[in-house]
Amino acid sequence: MTDRIRAPILAGVWGTLVGAALAAPPLALRDRLPDPVAIHWSGAGADGSAPLLTFTVLPVAVWLVGVAIAIGLALWGQTLTHRSGRVYWWGFLIGGGVFLVGLSLLTLDANLDRSSWSRADLKEWGVAVVMAASLATGVLAGWLGRGAPDVPTDTTRQPPELRLRPGRRSVWVGRGANPWLALLAAGSFCLVLATLWTGGVAGGEAGGLIGLAVILGLVGLFTSSVNVRVTEQGVAVAFGLFGWPVHRIPPERIARARAQQRTPGHVGGWGIRGRPGNMTVMLRAGECLVIDYRSGGRFTVSVDDAERGASLINALVAGDRSER
Amino acid sequence: MLLTLDLNDPRPLHEQVAGAIRRAVGEGGYRPGDRLPPARELAAALGINANTVLRALRDLRDEGILEFRRGRGVTVAERPAGRALIEQRARDLLDEAARYGYGRDDLIDILKELP
Repeated sequence: MTDRIRAPILAGVWGTLVGAALAAPPLALRDRLPDPVAIHWSGAGADGSAPLLTFTVLPVAVWLVGVAIAIGLALWGQTLTHRSGRVYWWGFLIGGGVFLVGLSLLTLDANLDRSSWSRADLKEWGVAVVMAASLATGVLAGWLGRGAPDVPTDTTRQPPELRLRPGRRSVWVGRGANPWLALLAAGSFCLVLATLWTGGVAGGEAGGLIGLAVILGLVGLFTSSVNVRVTEQGVAVAFGLFGWPVHRIPPERIARARAQQRTPGHVGGWGIRGRPGNMTVMLRAGECLVIDYRSGGRFTVSVDDAERGASLINALVAGDRSER
Repeated sequence: MLLTLDLNDPRPLHEQVAGAIRRAVGEGGYRPGDRLPPARELAAALGINANTVLRALRDLRDEGILEFRRGRGVTVAERPAGRALIEQRARDLLDEAARYGYGRDDLIDILKELP
C-alpha cells in the first residue's frame, strides 16, 4: 500500500508549491498593482474588483481546503483503491492547481502597471490557454496516476438457497437510504431560498434560482431513499419519500439475483446511473442487490439486507420457471 | 426483511406478522439500532392492511424488540430474548413436523429421545 503514503505526501508537496505560486506573485508585484484589483470581466471590460489582500489570500485558502480534502480522501477514503478514483484524484489535484495558478497569473497580467482596476485588460486568448493547459495536465496526471488495473475482486455473495412452500406467502422488503443526500438537498434548497429572500439577485437571475431550488428539493425528495419490495409479482423499486415513481421488474424478465458490495466510485457517483436495461440506483456504498435480466442487462440498487432479497428472488424465479 | 406468512394458519393475522418479524430480527438480518422498512411498505408487500402491520409492530414494541422513535421510524431495540425466539422456532418446528405427518406428541417423543 505505498500509494497510501506516497500520494498524500506528493499532494502535500504539490499543494505547497501551488499555494506559493498563488501567494508569491501578487506579494512580489504589489507595488505595480492597483488596489483593489480587477477580478471579473464581461464583454465590455472589467466589471468586478476585490482588495489586493483578498485577491492574494482567498485563492490560497480555497486551494488549501481542496488539498486537505484530497489528502483526507487519500488517507481515510476508498478513493485510491480503484482506478477511476485514482484518475479523478490525480486529475483534479494537478489540473485544479494549474487552473488556479493560471487564472491568478492571467489576472495579475491584466492588472499589472494599471493605474486603476477598471483599466485592467484581460487577454481573452489567455483564458482559453489556461483552460486547455489545466485540462491537458489534469488528463495527463490522471493517466500517469491511474495505477494498476482493478483486480476484479468478486464481492458477490451467492445468496443462500430458499425453499418456498405451497400455502405460504414469502415477501421481502428492503430499504436503502442516504440521510446526507437528503440533508444536502434540503440545505441547498434553503440556501437558494435564503438568497432569494434577501433579494441579493436581479429579476432575470431570480427565475433561474427558483428553478434550481425546486430541482434540488425534488431531487432530494425523490432520490434520497428507496424501498425495494419482492413479491410473487416480481420486484418493485419505489423511490423517495412518497414511494413514487415505482420501477417494476416482472419475474419473467429476471435470470437471477445476487448481493454485492459496491461503492459510488465503482459506478461513477451517486444517484440513478446508466440507461434502461442496465441501470444502477446508488445511494450509498455497501450492500447492493444486483438483478441480472434474461436479456443480458442488469439492475443494481443499494439496499440493506440485499442477500435475503436475492434469495427470495431466485426462489420465486425458479418456481415461476418450473410452473411453465 | 424477509417475511413469510402461512396462509392456512388459523391464528390472527397480526400475531402471524409479529411472528414473521420476530423471526426476521432473530435471524440477524437486522441489528439493534437498524431501521425497519416502513409499515406501509411491509403491508403492501404482504397484501394486507397497514393497521394489521402496525398492530404487530406495537406488540413487538411491548415485547421490547422494537422501538418507536419520532422522526426515526421503527428501529430494532434488541434481538428477541431467548424464550421468544425458541417459542417461534418451536412453532416453526411444529408446522414442519405436521407437514410430514408428525403430531405434537411425536415431536415431544423425538425431543425426549435426543441425547
